[in-house]
Amino acid sequence: MTAAALNRRALLAASATLPFLRIPAVRAATPGLLTFGLSSYPPTLQPWANGGTASSTIKLMIHRGLTSFSRDGNPQPELAESWSRDDEKTWVFKLRDARFHNGEKVTAADVQWTFDQIADEKSTAYFRAEMQRIAKVEAPDARTVRLVTKQPLVTVPNWLANFHMPIVSRSSPKGSPIGAGPFVPKGQERGVSIDLERFDAYYKPGLPKLKAIRAIAYADENLRLAALRSGDVDLIEYVPWQAMDAIAGDPALKLDAVDGPFMYLVFNGSRPPFNDARVRRAVAHAIKREELVKAAFFGRGSPLEHLPISESSSFYNADFKNGWHYDPDLSKRLLAEAGHGGGLSCSLLSTAQYGMHKDSAEIVQQHLAAVGINATLNLPDWATRVNLGNRGQYEIGIMGNTAESNDPDGLAAVLDGSLAASYVRSFGLKIDSIIELMEAGRTSFDEAKRRTIYRNLEQVAIDQAPIVGLTWRSQGYAMRKDVAGFSNFPGALTFYSGETFETTTTA
Amino acid sequence: MLSFAARRLAVAALLVWAVASLVFLVIHLIPGDPAELLLAQGGVAPDPDSVAALREKLGLDQPLWVQYRDHLASLLHADFGLSMVDEHPIGAEIALRLPRTLELVGLAGLLATLIGLPLGILAALTIGRLPDRILSAAAGLALSVPVFVVGTLAVLVLAQQLHWVPAGGYVPLAKDPLRHFILVLMPAATIALGLAAAVLRVTRSAVLEVLERDHVRAAQARGLPPVTIVRRHVLRNALMPVVTVLALHLGSLLGGTVLVEFVFNYPGLSGYLVRAVEARDYPEVTAIVLVISALFVLLNLLIDLCYVLIDPRVRHG
Repeated sequence: MTAAALNRRALLAASATLPFLRIPAVRAATPGLLTFGLSSYPPTLQPWANGGTASSTIKLMIHRGLTSFSRDGNPQPELAESWSRDDEKTWVFKLRDARFHNGEKVTAADVQWTFDQIADEKSTAYFRAEMQRIAKVEAPDARTVRLVTKQPLVTVPNWLANFHMPIVSRSSPKGSPIGAGPFVPKGQERGVSIDLERFDAYYKPGLPKLKAIRAIAYADENLRLAALRSGDVDLIEYVPWQAMDAIAGDPALKLDAVDGPFMYLVFNGSRPPFNDARVRRAVAHAIKREELVKAAFFGRGSPLEHLPISESSSFYNADFKNGWHYDPDLSKRLLAEAGHGGGLSCSLLSTAQYGMHKDSAEIVQQHLAAVGINATLNLPDWATRVNLGNRGQYEIGIMGNTAESNDPDGLAAVLDGSLAASYVRSFGLKIDSIIELMEAGRTSFDEAKRRTIYRNLEQVAIDQAPIVGLTWRSQGYAMRKDVAGFSNFPGALTFYSGETFETTTTA
Repeated sequence: MLSFAARRLAVAALLVWAVASLVFLVIHLIPGDPAELLLAQGGVAPDPDSVAALREKLGLDQPLWVQYRDHLASLLHADFGLSMVDEHPIGAEIALRLPRTLELVGLAGLLATLIGLPLGILAALTIGRLPDRILSAAAGLALSVPVFVVGTLAVLVLAQQLHWVPAGGYVPLAKDPLRHFILVLMPAATIALGLAAAVLRVTRSAVLEVLERDHVRAAQARGLPPVTIVRRHVLRNALMPVVTVLALHLGSLLGGTVLVEFVFNYPGLSGYLVRAVEARDYPEVTAIVLVISALFVLLNLLIDLCYVLIDPRVRHG
């Protein structure tokens, strides 16, 4: 499969230079219908489980939470019209006059029921663990929700804005959750497409603007692009990097791309040699990230030599910008200090299933070899790679990810070694000061104090290298020129762009 | 004759069972855990308690032999069970996708025969001359170009540049017959190109071989017109290897159209199988492979019947 994909890529690049005759698209478009090219068919549409990007985007059409993210990355009122804190542990949310798709009002009892489902012992909800931080959820009246946390928790409005935390009607039949979002699911051809229609009683007056959305899955990125160009679809997600320049220059199309997700290295810190911070730092300084951006992402991205905190964030620390700068001599010195002056051998885990993971691994391997680290590639399919990562059966691993929000606490899943073993973070690597600073950051309500905490945390991270940043990568949506009102959210929130389907129009 | 048929059927059933068991074993032995994967979409860390809860719900915490026993028991009741990923009934999904794949493979086989057979005869009759040379070269080219190259070029030129056809996809026949036909014709023609070349080659050599036989020479000596000789004395004898080759190709296409399905976004059985393997959806994988292998066995039985129709000697042999 991969060899096929590579050959196809080369073939497409070559064929793009052929002068083909162009006939303008003739398409009988239905007014008010937007066709959306998904990158994959959502494996699940369960409201609280993490079903990946395609599934989250569809969920943003069907559902709404108490809060949502605004373009600047801060939580904003959604089903809750306002919120306040009675004390450091008590949050009060005032619900607005909104309705579910079955016509019933969104009440505090629905919110309570939703949180109960998520926290349930058998729940497969993504936020099940976080819900354990909640002491109780009360409904003093139909429009008021009181949420009491066990410890002070500054990030509550942030995680209520997450697309895995929508409020669902408590009278939903089992297996068919009823939401309060702008679109109502009308039917699906499993594995092919999902049809949604405008929800007329959506609480925002005049929205949504579209009458209907038809989401069609195109797993092949080149076909997804061909479908956009031929007029089969109006909008696509996951624009292939190699096509971004051509789309930007096409008068019939427009591109909306941001640097959001990031690539990084994880380590097996449970045994030598990568339980030694000097060896991890040696890796960090051995990699020339510009080459990664060029080769794996066709120049569509930027080097990441610090923690993945976006430049647009108020927690960004400019002085750490080049914390893990390319310096092979320093790498060699660090290796020698750690007793590996003669070089060392290790395994490098990635996956052949996704081009960006495989390409990144190959380049990292070359750069490591230049400082005396002899890495053997292990490129199984994605399922196996996840499994090996969770079990710590690797030494260095390539990963791609997005922070959960633009708040630095959104990096907890990547950095916090006190959490259970996972392929998204280093294995068996507990750095006490990072764990403490993470906890201090999420329990402090003082903005200035938080900035100091996360500054200190980044300093520790640069020295200890619990993970090593590689590159930001560009995440793009492409659409026909007549599609308006859809926009790509910046930074970590790019996958929340689906919120803007409610304001999207098409001619 | 009856006992022969019964024996053949028993062997066929045994084969299907062996394949089903082997697949069950292999998919469980390769690394990767469906529960873990399901909760780890989009590069996030799943909560270990949630994974454990899901494993229990899916029955993955049971010993392997218990899972195997339950699996065989449900198969005996013709129940393929539910998908681990979204609890969708697997039988219904196969019933939906199998006809699409059969339509695709059947149409490809038909096109390949319609093109390959006459051209193969033509090449044999003009051996060494220009038509034969051109056809042989073209067949060599068609055989060596991978389907994803042909498919991608077709999408690029016909859909993206000329806007004559949609860029892949699928529409049910009842919804829009014309669009349905166009959408299935594109991948079918892509498969047919290589297949027609294979048919052409086999036909050519089979016809050449038969042309050398005594009964054909005798017919020529009697002064029969060439058309009659080919139709009556050559073609029927030359068809056996052609049918064999075509059947083998079509059989392997049942589970092997994945590249074409991918290129044209055609929701058939192979793509379903690949996605099931990627998600380690154990019941889906075993059910699909079982259906494909059963069909393969069935197809071979049908071919044996075809032999009987083509060659009366088989009936008495």
